[in-house]
Amino acid sequence: MLGYVVKRLLLAVPTLFAVLTIVFVLARVLPGDPAQTILGDQATQEALENMRHRLGVDKPIAAQYAEFLVDAVRGKWGTSLVTGKPVVDEVRNVLPYTIELTVTAIIVGALIGVPLGTWSAIYRNRWIDYLARMGSLLGLSFPAFVSAILLLLAFAIELRWFPVISAGGLDDPVERLRNLALPAINLGIIMAAYVTRVTRSSMLEVLGEDYIRTARAKGVPRRAIVWRHALRNALIPVVTVVGLYLGILIGNSVLTEIVFNRPGLGKLMVSALNQRDYTVLQGMMVVYAFVIVIVNLLTDLTYGFIDPRVKRQ
Amino acid sequence: MAWVAKGAVALACVFASTLAMGEARAEKTVLNVGMAAIDAGRLDPHLSSTTPDKALFGWMFNGLVRFKPGTMNPELLEPDLAESWTSTEDGKQWTFKLRHGVQCHHDYGELTAEDIVYSLARAGDPKRSAFSSDFKDFDKVEAVDKYTVRISLKNPVPSLLGLLIPYNGGNVVCKKAAEEMGETFAQKPIGTGPFEFGEYKPKESVTLVANAKYFRGKPKLEKIVYRYILSDASRDLAFTSGEIDMLYGRQDQNWVDRIKKEKGAVVDVFDPGELSTLYLNVTKPPLDDIRVRQAIAYAIDRDQVVQFKGKDITRAAKSIVPIGYLGMTDDVPLLPHNLEKAKALLKEAGYPDGLTIHIIHTNLPGMLSMMEIVQAQLRKAGIILDMEVVEHATYHANIRKDMSPIVHYAAARFPVADTYLTQFFHSRSIVGTPTAVTNFSHCNDADAEIDAAKVETDPAKQKALWKTAQQKLMAKVCGIPIYEQPQVWAHRDTLDFGFKLEGSLTLGPVINEVTHFTQ
Repeated sequence: MLGYVVKRLLLAVPTLFAVLTIVFVLARVLPGDPAQTILGDQATQEALENMRHRLGVDKPIAAQYAEFLVDAVRGKWGTSLVTGKPVVDEVRNVLPYTIELTVTAIIVGALIGVPLGTWSAIYRNRWIDYLARMGSLLGLSFPAFVSAILLLLAFAIELRWFPVISAGGLDDPVERLRNLALPAINLGIIMAAYVTRVTRSSMLEVLGEDYIRTARAKGVPRRAIVWRHALRNALIPVVTVVGLYLGILIGNSVLTEIVFNRPGLGKLMVSALNQRDYTVLQGMMVVYAFVIVIVNLLTDLTYGFIDPRVKRQ
Repeated sequence: MAWVAKGAVALACVFASTLAMGEARAEKTVLNVGMAAIDAGRLDPHLSSTTPDKALFGWMFNGLVRFKPGTMNPELLEPDLAESWTSTEDGKQWTFKLRHGVQCHHDYGELTAEDIVYSLARAGDPKRSAFSSDFKDFDKVEAVDKYTVRISLKNPVPSLLGLLIPYNGGNVVCKKAAEEMGETFAQKPIGTGPFEFGEYKPKESVTLVANAKYFRGKPKLEKIVYRYILSDASRDLAFTSGEIDMLYGRQDQNWVDRIKKEKGAVVDVFDPGELSTLYLNVTKPPLDDIRVRQAIAYAIDRDQVVQFKGKDITRAAKSIVPIGYLGMTDDVPLLPHNLEKAKALLKEAGYPDGLTIHIIHTNLPGMLSMMEIVQAQLRKAGIILDMEVVEHATYHANIRKDMSPIVHYAAARFPVADTYLTQFFHSRSIVGTPTAVTNFSHCNDADAEIDAAKVETDPAKQKALWKTAQQKLMAKVCGIPIYEQPQVWAHRDTLDFGFKLEGSLTLGPVINEVTHFTQ
């Protein structure tokens, strides 16, 4: 088991390396200039060149790349070109917000999606099924920023239950929950839509299996068949989707973070991109790639937990 | 389902009560501001000149002199850190007497002549400042005694006082703090203004707190929370919900009309107007032919642009220098809209069937919408603008590499004709040269007048020089001024600035010691 985990993590190293190289080159090939973003449009050429020199972006790309690799191996991620703060701090500052949001969204998604998908499969082609399918289609096709604005209009402006600016500190638990609610629901709805669809199709397949018929013939109560035997077998594709989606979710959170004004990785990336903050961009790519690797690993490990046969193999 | 309903009601009560607690306080002393940006830049007043950063600097720093709060007339400057000043006959030596007892933020001690000397040296050093070229005529700045500063110039600078207002390089930073912090000064900038740096939350906000030792008295507001809210829709919603009291608006008539209807909202429209100009590269064919440039100018209908952009927030431009700037004149050959003339000129220039010009333009919506109108207007004259729309940072990089023969640029500068003429039309500022700023047209026809005006001590003669410069450049159609848009913000009517807000060079409303909430 441990050997497997270590092997998987080692395999991630070349992936990380490739991601970093691509990001490094792409970011610098883009026109645009971090010195210009920092100094604004009234800066003279002399000031710009001084700033470029100070930032180290005036060196040839190859030299910058070599320097960057050496630093990366030594665990030095440099400082943000724009704010001058260590990249590690920049990422660490917003990471809790993103983790909190993503995890909550996944929980919301699973809590809604799994039962809905299951019912939908049991009552196939009945009204509950149609309703669930229509709901999930709506959830999938609704752009995140539109649902975000609708949520804000309803719950922040009309009912005034939640704030529009969901930034706040992480210290006060009540405040924290209030800030989390709308963004998490917004992302959770999309998640739920995915989960519903996958659960439904997977359940339909399992419900047609021989052992389900056998269980039914034996007189096992219907509730036990569905929730204990069938669902557990149907969950593997669901976990895969959730795992895959977690990666996408972090990316999708960009819009949610912007509309709800939450700090987070998505927003950090957009600002780094707009401001040509190469160092922050590189640091974030490492985090992203690493998260995807870890999530994939965890997903694979979960299979064994859900279905012991996978573990034996 | 009953328990769900009960739960919802209970939750609602909890939220309602927390909200009520927040609103029950007597008089508000915290000003929440919503700014359209994703984050702060480098908060060093000598480095950053981006709009979101500048507004903050305006609340934190002083200069030797300043505009009367809420105005920006360069002919009416009043004392700030300096109590009084004198200059020699030839205008080459200026002596400033400083106020006594001015305290630097966060207990960095009393501000003395040494700080002024340090700050001006810093602002003039290209390694530490983006505005060093403003100070190139400075010969020596010295502290005569603790409260006296003497500035010696290489040659007279008629708008010298304009360089010493709290704006860009004129912002006075405290020596001890800047030396101690070095590179990290931008993370905790130290000045002497009514508000001092409190806290920075990444991608979220900057909090300024009242400077209790402010020399004009303790500010009535306790705190300013400057929130970075990138999404226009959420910024407006946050204003509606009462979470912010003042916000950066949109230069859009619909926005103005909608916010005006909101209860207790006041829309602020103030100077400086940002002048949108099309700069035509006179060295590149087909624009090297003046007839083609004139044809473009004749094809553009300014009034239609103003009508489209909205009358409350737009005015037609009159010269290549914005209206209200010292030395601006409307006695210039501004070509009116005349489609026939445009077509005739094109034919004369050898383009009877019209021509296509490839240009690069930013994707910023406000700027793009105006360019789309121009595109449609030019098409009527047979000029096809093949517009490559790119993201804003790319646009800035590419126009500085001469990649667009027509550059649409919108800017506001220190309100003296000299700054605009120098940055946009002097040969020193031509893009691609070592001293480049923003001369995209490559015109150099008014160098002599611009330079002569810089050292002219007689105001009338100086204005005449600036006038000739504008006339020459307009006659050559180096730039086609289109329209001006002032700054648009909004605030709650319970917020009283303490003065009339007509202009603010920092592009954000002036907030100082007298600003307060009435409720």
